[in-house]
Amino acid sequence: MDSTPVIQLSGLRKRFGAVTAVDGIDLTIRPGEVVALLGPNGAGKTTTVDLALGLSTPTSGSVRLFGEDPRAAVIDGRVGAMLQGGALLPDMTVRDIVALVGAAHRNPMPVDEALRRARCTEIAGRRVNKLSGGQLQRARFAVAVVSDPDLLVLDEPTAAMDVEARHVFWSSMREFTDAGRTVVFATHYLDEADTFADRIVIMRSGRVVADGTPSEIKAIAATRTIRFGGVQESAHVALRGLPGTVGLEARHGSVTLRTDSSDQTLRALLASFPEAHDIEVVASTMDDAFLALTADQPEQPGVSA
Amino acid sequence: MTTTAAAIAAPLHTTDVRGRMPIRYVLLETRRQMRNVRAMVFTFAVPVVMLLVFGAAYGSTKDPTTGLQYLVVTTLQMAAYGAMMAALSQAFAIVNERSIGWNRQLRVTPLSGWGFLVSKVIAAMAFAAISITITTLVAVLALGASLDPMRWVAAGFGIWCGVVPFALIAILIGQFAKPNFAQPLFMVVFMGLAILGGLWVPLSIMPSWMGDVAHLMPSYWLNRIGQMGAGATGTSGMLEPALVLLGWAIVLGAVIMWRYRRDAARQ
Repeated sequence: MDSTPVIQLSGLRKRFGAVTAVDGIDLTIRPGEVVALLGPNGAGKTTTVDLALGLSTPTSGSVRLFGEDPRAAVIDGRVGAMLQGGALLPDMTVRDIVALVGAAHRNPMPVDEALRRARCTEIAGRRVNKLSGGQLQRARFAVAVVSDPDLLVLDEPTAAMDVEARHVFWSSMREFTDAGRTVVFATHYLDEADTFADRIVIMRSGRVVADGTPSEIKAIAATRTIRFGGVQESAHVALRGLPGTVGLEARHGSVTLRTDSSDQTLRALLASFPEAHDIEVVASTMDDAFLALTADQPEQPGVSA
Repeated sequence: MTTTAAAIAAPLHTTDVRGRMPIRYVLLETRRQMRNVRAMVFTFAVPVVMLLVFGAAYGSTKDPTTGLQYLVVTTLQMAAYGAMMAALSQAFAIVNERSIGWNRQLRVTPLSGWGFLVSKVIAAMAFAAISITITTLVAVLALGASLDPMRWVAAGFGIWCGVVPFALIAILIGQFAKPNFAQPLFMVVFMGLAILGGLWVPLSIMPSWMGDVAHLMPSYWLNRIGQMGAGATGTSGMLEPALVLLGWAIVLGAVIMWRYRRDAARQ
């Protein structure tokens, strides 16, 4: 397999005035990878996508796509993208707009082929402003694949889609990645990242805070949570000090401890707080991993009440 | 949803002018715009209505300054006005496309900044051609304006070519005006060009200082190139107005490139 990275970001930084949106990202994505870019709003996902596509210039650092600069890769038709805020012309039909974008490329795939791949054949004759949210996203997907790209970059592709539409979307995406192509998608949906990506990159405050397979990501965060009731609020400080404990959340008199060593934490809990009852030990979900990695931001202090 | 400043940026803002000028894209883009011709009906109708009102009033008497029928003078004036208006209307199309994020999508295609410019200039020229043709046909068929057919062709062709700087003005407004600022800016530019250039009211009935101002306006020269094409008295022929309009096109092109480079550097 070609060893040139599809995407290579080195020391990437982007400042907008006083705000640093992207704060030093190093990331290498290899051919055939399906990578989810996960993070809360304002984590810098969209800015990173813009920089990677050459839509804006980094304050410092560099971007290479297929070993060349992003604009060159775009001109070669190797990159397809569904962008946030990249809308389609409302008064055109889906077919015409796919044809229009295809005409800008040197070697586009046939329009019908792009429509079929994006499951847009039935809505081909419909005007863009008559489409539902899910249909619109499919139309944008057709526009993104019409150049027959080696890399697809999708910024929140399933926003505004219902469950059924998301299912259809991801099945068409699988067809695309089965051919060995590279996909990078930004998302808010943890389950999407978990089930679809084979690599997850978590961003927070413009930095990469975790990077690994879905199971590695789950392992990076606390692996278990222990939930129980009956312990006074005054004991919370002591609870935080239990061995293995990495976090505490209290709600309606019940306490949830995140721990990277549930056995130790549980033994110590029972020894020190015999009044604890209704104890549950649960393996953490993707959501827990995500929260653990993206919480504790100075901009978002405290625990939700 | 985060919306970055880049969301409203246009291909001209792209950090790189490289890319292609795909002929097929330019053709499809022109065809697309032609389908929206209904939206232009008002733009085409205004000069025709003004022609019917003023042209009929002047009758076939001769204008002493140009040596042409007043009716022909008015026809050319309205053809120039309509062509200018049709070209300037591109500003709205561009602002609108920018605001919905279409340009952002275009930036992930090989289409170059120049390819984008050319596609918009061609669409502007196509609309201008329609306006010139309609206005002239109404003058000849409905009002019986009489001029040698070759003179009509020369005048119409001259005006049509002279529309290029106005297409560039439209692109400047479209690329760089904020969406809610585009409308007032457009009105100021368009009224200024129409009135000061003598496209609404003949300059001969305006104060003399207006004449001096008019000579700075590309709209004056747009009217002038039509008059010269129609065989108005004067020594320069079509060359002088053509050169002035070319100069305008070069200056505007330079301003567009300067703005482009500055924005690219800032982004």
